[in-house]
Amino acid sequence: MNLQEILFALSEASGMGGLSGALDIAEREFSRYARVTTIGSGSLLAELPGENDYRILLDAHIDEIGMMVTSVDDDGFVRVAAAGGIDVRTLAAQPVTVWGTEPVPGVFCSTPPHLKKSSEDTVPELSELAVDTGLPGGRAKKLVAPGSRVTFSQNPAALQNGLVTGKSLDNRAGVAALLQTARDLYEAGSLPCTVTFLLSDQEELGCRGAKTAAFGLNPDEAVAVDVSFGNSPDVPSHKTGKLGGGAMLGISPVLSPFVTDRLQRLAHEEEIPVQPEVMGGATSTNADVISLTKSGVPCGLLSIPLRNMHTTVEVIQLEDIRSVSRLLTAYARSGGLSNNRRNER
Amino acid sequence: MFDLLKELCEIPAPSGREDAVREWIFEKVASYGACRVDALGNLLVLKQGRKRASVKLMLDAHMDEVGFIVTAVTEEGFLKFTTVGGIDPSVLLARRVIFLSGAAGVISAKPVHLMEGEERKKLPKTEALFIDIGASGRQDAEQYVLPGDMAVFDSSYSEFGEGLIKARAVDDRAGCAILIDLLRQEAEYDFYAAFTVQEEVGLRGARTAAFGLAPEAAIVIEATTAADIAGVAVEKQVCGLGKGPALSFMDGSTLYDKAYYDAAFAAAEEKSIPCQPKAAVAGGNNAGAIHASGEGVRTLAVSIPCRYLHSASCVSSRSDIEAAAALVREMTVRIASGTLR
Repeated sequence: MNLQEILFALSEASGMGGLSGALDIAEREFSRYARVTTIGSGSLLAELPGENDYRILLDAHIDEIGMMVTSVDDDGFVRVAAAGGIDVRTLAAQPVTVWGTEPVPGVFCSTPPHLKKSSEDTVPELSELAVDTGLPGGRAKKLVAPGSRVTFSQNPAALQNGLVTGKSLDNRAGVAALLQTARDLYEAGSLPCTVTFLLSDQEELGCRGAKTAAFGLNPDEAVAVDVSFGNSPDVPSHKTGKLGGGAMLGISPVLSPFVTDRLQRLAHEEEIPVQPEVMGGATSTNADVISLTKSGVPCGLLSIPLRNMHTTVEVIQLEDIRSVSRLLTAYARSGGLSNNRRNER
Repeated sequence: MFDLLKELCEIPAPSGREDAVREWIFEKVASYGACRVDALGNLLVLKQGRKRASVKLMLDAHMDEVGFIVTAVTEEGFLKFTTVGGIDPSVLLARRVIFLSGAAGVISAKPVHLMEGEERKKLPKTEALFIDIGASGRQDAEQYVLPGDMAVFDSSYSEFGEGLIKARAVDDRAGCAILIDLLRQEAEYDFYAAFTVQEEVGLRGARTAAFGLAPEAAIVIEATTAADIAGVAVEKQVCGLGKGPALSFMDGSTLYDKAYYDAAFAAAEEKSIPCQPKAAVAGGNNAGAIHASGEGVRTLAVSIPCRYLHSASCVSSRSDIEAAAALVREMTVRIASGTLR
């Protein structure tokens, strides 16, 4: 499968709260290049051994935002709570899948205009909304119980100029970048140090998968891959990265200046498009927790610019995924900071 | 009939651009009646019955659906648009659309992460929205889309729950499917079938179709809002799925013929067809244009209850569509035969 095909398969699949659709695809694909194990509540590890056991961790969260069923009423309508940052403004008449004893297709209800007060443009709370399963109450309650997961249903599509749209490109784009990197490193042959790929779970709930996986791995250094805000007419340009402008290189007090600097120099040397993403503190990515593992792990961050974050119409530029993977490949092949470290010791 | 409906719901044809769906329908009905197309694009079919009709009857179903029309292309290659027909902003934000040319687009949404306080809890107005097709700038965008080009929600037909369908354009491809199905059966009495245009932008096709046909009576086969959903009190639900077609006594454009309204309920009872009143004075349909046409036309509206009308995910019940077809067939006979003077 080419990059777009893999990305589309990952985007359409479900992956949160133990639903393993995306994980299964990732496991199958990473297995071509590396030894794969699943850990924790739904994270995946893939290891490419190197000439020594200095470990570079490359992380991309594989979970997506979703919801949990809180109740099923007598008419087959289902109430939900958010698992991750749901954009409630976009839910009216939105198709979803309720993962009960079998997948149950549903649609979020939408208040008909004749029942809305004329000046009403305020957004309801998620608890006021309900999912229409189209089933009578008895049957709905047999199939769906509180605790069932709910994910969005949206097939991906190509736009113009290599842009693509779909749900969960946050962060299946990151996963695709890591997969591309694994393939490139595998084909390049020998590696100076060990590279571990982590597709972590529960980032959307507070970076929990990365925290525990990184503790278990205790890497020497790490680079997290996520998505960040892409250019859009309704957002000031200084707050976004340009789609097609390359990997957004995170620059922040919480990220390792050595890793960041190394990535920057490699990008320049290899003529890989990058653009700065400067933050004043925490990055709101797995980098924030990976860097605090045990006694600390030097950590960098690369992000793929993305429009319409946390909606089913997220948009990215495929070429930006390639920029990220090219940079990570160059980084891993150069041994990361391992040369510096040896000098320090 | 549901195979017809599936294909119909997937033909992008918003108001004023009904050609594709008209041609599809024409192919299906051409051998069952004498067809002609009027200047606005209505497809008018005369169905011969075994007996001559005593009352000249017109059956109407509109072919057009709601959609979007591009008003401008920005310097950066994004598309400003307005709606064609009434679409609520809450079902517009962050949706996939498809242009009649086949190009894909998305109606964008500013991420909540980048919003301050008040802004997070408000829906943007339609004028503030734009469509992204992935263009690199104005010149690039204009290779694919120009001002005036139209799009519809990109949504496919599926069945779910217990006998429910979810699709775009159930309003009024369901009416079209019923009418096509009726044309393909033997008719007891002659009638005219009008597949009309531009309903969503002011009941316009029905006006010229009614003028051209000059019927004495009409049955409008439509879709109407069902609000039988969580959080809506019973008295505000208008009609419910699974209870049969909804018959209108009055709406925003028409005060319906009482004799026909009562006769429809009587016919439904006699033939054990489920049926319900449309329990609100709200909305409007082609009856608005037809009943006041010429010297007046006695009109009946038979509507399929539809949740989330004018969204990408309209939901209706198969059984209601079947029941509507049965009731329309029965009322066609009763009206055309002249038994309901």
